[in-house]
Amino acid sequence: MFPPWLAGGLVYASALSLTAGGITLLYITTRTFNFAHASMATFGFYITYIFYSFRGGNLYQYLPLSFLFGSLLGIICYIGLNRPLLKRQASTITLMMSTLGYDLILLSIIQMLCDYLSYTFKLYPRRVTMSAFDFEMFGTSAASIITPLIAITILTLLHLFLTRTKFGISMRASIENPILASASGINSDKVYLMSWVIGGGMAALGGAVMSLTMTGTPVMGMTVIPYMFAGAILGGLENIYGGILGGFIVGLAEYVGIYYLAVKVGPWILGYRMALPLLIMAITLLLFPRGLAGIQWSYLLESIKRARKGAKS
Amino acid sequence: MLNIKNLYSGYLKLKILFDINLEVPTREITVIVGPNGAGKTALLNSIMGIATVFAGEITLDGIQLKNAPPYKVAQLGISYVPQMENVFAELTLRENLMMAGYMLNREELKNKTDQVLDMFPILKGFIHRKAGTLSGGERRMLAIAMGLMRKPKVMLLDELSTDLAPLITKRVMEGIARLRDELGITILLVEQMAKRALEIGDKAYLLVSGEIKYSGRASDLLHHPELSKLYLGVKEVE
Amino acid sequence: MRNIGDVLKQNLMKREVIISLVMLLVLTYLAISLGFPIIFSTLILFFIFSIVTLSLNLEVGHTGISQFGRVIAVIAGAFVVGAIPGRILAFLYGLPFGLEYADDAVNYKVVPLIHKILEKDIALALGFLLFCLVLAGLSGALIGWLTSRPAIRLREAYLGISLLAFGDFFMWVGHNWEPLVGGTTAVFIPDPFRIVWGYRMQAVAFTLLAILVLVYLFIERITKSPFGRTLKMLRDSPLVSRVYGKDIVKIRTQSLVIGSAIAAIGGALYVIYTGTCTAIGFTRLTWTFWPWAYMMLGGVGSNIGMVLGVLVLTVSRTLIILYRKSLFGFLLLWGIDPIWLEFTLLGLVIIFIILFMPYGLVPEKSETVLPSGRIKAILESVRKQSSQTPEN
Ligand SMILES: Nc1ncnc2c1ncn2[C@@H]1O[C@H](COP(=O)(O)OP(=O)(O)OP(=O)(O)O)[C@@H](O)[C@H]1O
Ligand SMILES: [Mg+2]
Repeated sequence: MFPPWLAGGLVYASALSLTAGGITLLYITTRTFNFAHASMATFGFYITYIFYSFRGGNLYQYLPLSFLFGSLLGIICYIGLNRPLLKRQASTITLMMSTLGYDLILLSIIQMLCDYLSYTFKLYPRRVTMSAFDFEMFGTSAASIITPLIAITILTLLHLFLTRTKFGISMRASIENPILASASGINSDKVYLMSWVIGGGMAALGGAVMSLTMTGTPVMGMTVIPYMFAGAILGGLENIYGGILGGFIVGLAEYVGIYYLAVKVGPWILGYRMALPLLIMAITLLLFPRGLAGIQWSYLLESIKRARKGAKS
Repeated sequence: MLNIKNLYSGYLKLKILFDINLEVPTREITVIVGPNGAGKTALLNSIMGIATVFAGEITLDGIQLKNAPPYKVAQLGISYVPQMENVFAELTLRENLMMAGYMLNREELKNKTDQVLDMFPILKGFIHRKAGTLSGGERRMLAIAMGLMRKPKVMLLDELSTDLAPLITKRVMEGIARLRDELGITILLVEQMAKRALEIGDKAYLLVSGEIKYSGRASDLLHHPELSKLYLGVKEVE
Repeated sequence: MRNIGDVLKQNLMKREVIISLVMLLVLTYLAISLGFPIIFSTLILFFIFSIVTLSLNLEVGHTGISQFGRVIAVIAGAFVVGAIPGRILAFLYGLPFGLEYADDAVNYKVVPLIHKILEKDIALALGFLLFCLVLAGLSGALIGWLTSRPAIRLREAYLGISLLAFGDFFMWVGHNWEPLVGGTTAVFIPDPFRIVWGYRMQAVAFTLLAILVLVYLFIERITKSPFGRTLKMLRDSPLVSRVYGKDIVKIRTQSLVIGSAIAAIGGALYVIYTGTCTAIGFTRLTWTFWPWAYMMLGGVGSNIGMVLGVLVLTVSRTLIILYRKSLFGFLLLWGIDPIWLEFTLLGLVIIFIILFMPYGLVPEKSETVLPSGRIKAILESVRKQSSQTPEN
């Protein structure tokens, strides 16, 4: 159904939109740029990998487990690290650095886990091609169909949660005005905890999805985290939908853009694949210092309409 | 009764209030007046647990409020209508009211919502609009409605009359007096329109540069020869 | 609750001395038990990272810029030294110097030929070293100026993330563009220390020590100067500085340019020391996150703290690497290599400092705008005046 470059691109873009959405959520609730998203994503991949290696079957059935494990990692980070620092009104930079420390500890645990898996169970966890365990669907890899659906489902669920449930609305209220929310009897602690549950889960799920299109390694998340951030920043860091969209754009741009360029300019450009999304982020930031959210969409639409009318008359 | 003893408070490390002693008797309206930047808002924030309390005590019917997070204070029945940013601009009016009534159950929430909407019928027409699109006065009404949603025992009202037309201000003040008389709510009122507030108030405090300069009956402060002229801008009192 | 930082603050000087003494003892012990080479390589890394961390502290600690792209300037220094000076020598002596210079098949033949020349001529070797450092400093300054453009526009966290991403960007460019520094294969750097071959480590160590001292004195001087105080004022209260008419843009730019130039020199020294420049080795972990950890351990804003922070962590790293088998050998039972504990250490150090020691080993001393002597004199004269006219 899809050419291979587009299939891979869709999987990667779905993964980035999940992770960038999580980063955005954590930033707007707790002011924390979560570096630990890197190893949380890697952990998500390894959870799916481990369960698949030991129990076999359809690998997609283990994705919810990855999500739950990511939530657990998020809860630990919130209770052990983020909450005390938020109480102390620590600066953005301090919050950011604290998650970096957490990330490095998770990374070392992942590395040790890999050693353990290969020593005790004779697995090869350091270079995993998960797509080999994927199956075909409508003449293309199942991942390229299922993972965008996963991203859309998560987005829909999140939207319903945030607009239809009392707790979801209270999350939005806390994001906008924590003091007024608290004075209304909303416990911001619960809101923050919830955002770590969702954000951590999305990170791990994103990592598991990502391993379906790239080689899974212990430093997978570490390598990709600039792109997760790029997606979040592109989305404007103001609402989750922006983050999800930004991640998708960055992911797709990397695959589709590089394919296009390789055809136009020559295959040597393939080596710079990793550089492309960063370039896109840089250009966007220079034009719109507040990301996609900073673009005045309605104004833009208005002027396009007017231009059309002008052309007609 | 809300009781404040020897309170020193401020923001982070900055000290703003010094040795405040204040009593807010049950079912009475206590008025706080004072010039801009005197620390009136800071005082309400200290009660709610938003500002930092360095020393002293704040008790509600004997329960210590000092250092309790705002949501705990709210759960004790203290409803705060802040001076600024008192509605959720990104939420619809209905969602705003729902959040204000966060501690109510479904039944109570519905009844209360109907009740406050009857009080401000103008809001009914905007119920699905985002609060950020309201005019200044409409917004203020929503904020008051939200304050009432919380089933309060005590209400802390910060400069309600700002943005409101004089006629509405008068009605709001009368409404506040009714809250006390009919529902028995204890009210701590911070007001820039000192004259109106002092007319309906029982007790009054004058706060200047973080210190209490006068305490006594509201009508006495209103008729005080110097203070009223100096701080209240009430020139001629008939 | 008083945190450790506050308690420690009181006996400040004592602590600095004690920490240094303990570390020196550990080093001496290592030297005696394991021989000198290990000491020299530890010391060399200590010097290089001290230089980089001092530069980071100038930008973060003194100016308040969220510099999460320290690796960018380091790369600027390293790549430029990998790419240019060797080519110039090759050109001067009629060797291949074009794009093909960085090709590994050419490079491993050309550089030994250059070594032959450098071995004999001490003036040339010294000139070469100096040229490398100046070149690195210039390219670092250029990169600093370039990063100062977005640094003025973007909010702190945005800036941090963008710089972080650009660090990766430059690493990938170096990794992919072979003519620059060899791409996936390393390019060799002509070694100015050839001439003292038997004592290379020692010579490198002493050169680095000298440069570190110079950098330290330089940074100490500018941070104690009116410029340094303006930096701090800007950091603590941007509004006030604007009110006083300080040109924020200019001052931030200056700080970034100076800091990046120094970091680039650090990067240049690193590739000269190792003799090779491998693009993929310039990761944000090594050249951004480790320096941040050193800085936070040392105490953000304090210069001597930087040196202590690097010393303590470098020595601990060496200890972990040396004794990982004997201390954490039990991990091997499950097939786990204790080398990963290095990451655990780094993570724990960062978290521990943030939670329990926010001021680091050497908390920044709050400085008054006037020297304390002047303040005393003013107080004295005020007191005298008021005692002369007690009635008023
Ligand atoms: N978040 C804050 N951080 C630091 N200082 C603050 C903060 N909020 C207010 N202040 C300062 O505290 C002082 C008292 O402010 P407060 O808002 O209590 O005044 P007020 O009496 O309510 O004045 P107004 O009548 O203008 O509302 C002011 O000098 C103000 O600048
Ligand atoms: Mg006020």
